[in-house]
Amino acid sequence: MQPNGHSLYTPIPMHVLHAYYESPDRSLKTLELSFDHAEDSQAFFEAFNPGQFCLLSVAGKGESALGVANAAWEGDFVRFTAQNVGSVTAALHKLNAGDPVGMRGPKGNGFPLNDWKGKNLVIIGGGCAFSTLYALTKHVHHESHRDDYGKLTLIYGTRTSGLCMYKHDIAAWHEDEDMEIHQAIDIPEDNWQYHVGYVPDVVKQVAPSPENAVAIVCGPPIMTKFTLPALVDLGFSPENIFTSLEKRMKCGVGKCGRCNLGPQYICKDGPVFSLAELNALPADL
Amino acid sequence: MNHILEKHTLQDLLQSWRQDYDVYLPQKMENFSHFMPLTETSVLVDGDPHNTRIPPKALFLPMNEALVKFTRFGGYEDAKHEIQSRIVFGIRPCDAQAVQLLDTSFIQEDNIDPLWSERREKTITIGLGCHKPCQTGFCTTVGYGPFDRADLDAMLTDLGETYLVETFSEAGEGCFLGLPVASEEIYNQALDIQRSAHDQMPVAFETENLKGKLEQNFKSDYWDTVSQSCLGCGVCTFLCPTCFCFDIVDETQRRERVRNWDSCMFRTYSLEASGHNPRPSRVERTRQRLSHKYVYWLDQVNQIGCTGCGRCVRYCPVGLDIRAMLRQAQTLPFEVSHAA
Repeated sequence: MQPNGHSLYTPIPMHVLHAYYESPDRSLKTLELSFDHAEDSQAFFEAFNPGQFCLLSVAGKGESALGVANAAWEGDFVRFTAQNVGSVTAALHKLNAGDPVGMRGPKGNGFPLNDWKGKNLVIIGGGCAFSTLYALTKHVHHESHRDDYGKLTLIYGTRTSGLCMYKHDIAAWHEDEDMEIHQAIDIPEDNWQYHVGYVPDVVKQVAPSPENAVAIVCGPPIMTKFTLPALVDLGFSPENIFTSLEKRMKCGVGKCGRCNLGPQYICKDGPVFSLAELNALPADL
Repeated sequence: MNHILEKHTLQDLLQSWRQDYDVYLPQKMENFSHFMPLTETSVLVDGDPHNTRIPPKALFLPMNEALVKFTRFGGYEDAKHEIQSRIVFGIRPCDAQAVQLLDTSFIQEDNIDPLWSERREKTITIGLGCHKPCQTGFCTTVGYGPFDRADLDAMLTDLGETYLVETFSEAGEGCFLGLPVASEEIYNQALDIQRSAHDQMPVAFETENLKGKLEQNFKSDYWDTVSQSCLGCGVCTFLCPTCFCFDIVDETQRRERVRNWDSCMFRTYSLEASGHNPRPSRVERTRQRLSHKYVYWLDQVNQIGCTGCGRCVRYCPVGLDIRAMLRQAQTLPFEVSHAA
């Protein structure tokens, strides 16, 4: 049962407030959704924590799990960025301002922000998986939360500069002395003034200090696979390395069985796990 | 309370329940037993104890059922289902255990599947114990038994011309009101049958350290060996009473979002939109099936997620036998220190 009295499987009605492409190749589209009912909005923000995801629904096409890419202080809307890869995300890409869309969520545990208070944060993202890390950075960087955390370091890699999401904020963060930001692209480009190389190599090069720090990694499986050991080599303990996982999902509430990792369900018990937790689970990713 | 039920009066008793309930019981369909609604002409399947082909989980989690209805202008509402009060008669203890195991997934605090839960609440389950071993069952091996009560409302023990009826709940007692009370002597006779049925069940494999062995040999080529002849047809999971995975798909013409039984033995089950598949071959999928039953269920609720009904053994088209697979798993290396 959801707070609105509907079944676990019934989406709440939303409308597209803004829809815009993030990248010139139009593979990434951001949707900002507004709630049709104020009660749904209230229930959402009471439960919401950065790092959680929702299931976006297009009637007749199905549902797709997408990370929430905004912080609660930004206002009464929910932001998602979808890469056009499957049938549901293709349908999501066709949506424009004013179109109806269904949503279930927030789902999952989100980042353990309370445990991280007083610590330095090293946020490492790759590609379109950066969305929940963007929500995290926006949350932590906000004046009402900033004092709760130490130094903020951001490492963000994409294949090309065009595929970098949320360019406006990223550009502003480069100017911000409160934050150390390292941006990388995989393929060299003219006039690129930041790192060129894969994220695990950039992490080794930047070598963030493990002193009183937690590292949060979110990216494609291949990036995560090589970044986690790089962090261990830098001296981060497995308890202080976190990652957000993704698997194919359907129900989003730990019933349909699909996203299990050993005895845990990524949708319900995750998607955020520490490396220590992952080490105790089977390598079934 | 314990009652005596003459076999020749059973049909009348079943028919009398129809006034207030939908009654389901195993009946012959083609060459198999199948839970079907009782009609005036229905006949209870007799003969040696055996299971229906489709497990009774289908009575609580139908193979295909609408979850959400699409409304005009892009809205959604809960799909409506008329759920009647029911009596399920003749459910075998292994299947009753399986339904109870599935409750741990479908009925969790703050996370309740409304359809499963309503069907469970509105159903009285009456078990029929197995007085003789069935063909491929191994319930006692996995810690269950041919006369386990699970959360049955009542259970019958076959005494030849009569049944002993044990009732475990008010609802169960209500079904057998007015039947003569069983004497101490008959009750003891039934207990003997129950004990002897338990003792006759063969031990199919050892379960000691089995979980640890499967866990520690996650990357062993044991999995290649045991999955080699698998066709990936999924019948083992489809007919398994504790398998509950489902897919959710949109049926555009019906304007509904529907769940269908699904199987971890299928490639598309875990295939992601990017093309990545965490379980790309039958090796990983076989490992998932066995590990789910014999490792993950234990982690989650401290019970083996297999009730030993033997369906996967009986219906596998290439004769893959989970009992043999697990006997072979017992020969795998195991480090005790690891387990602590």
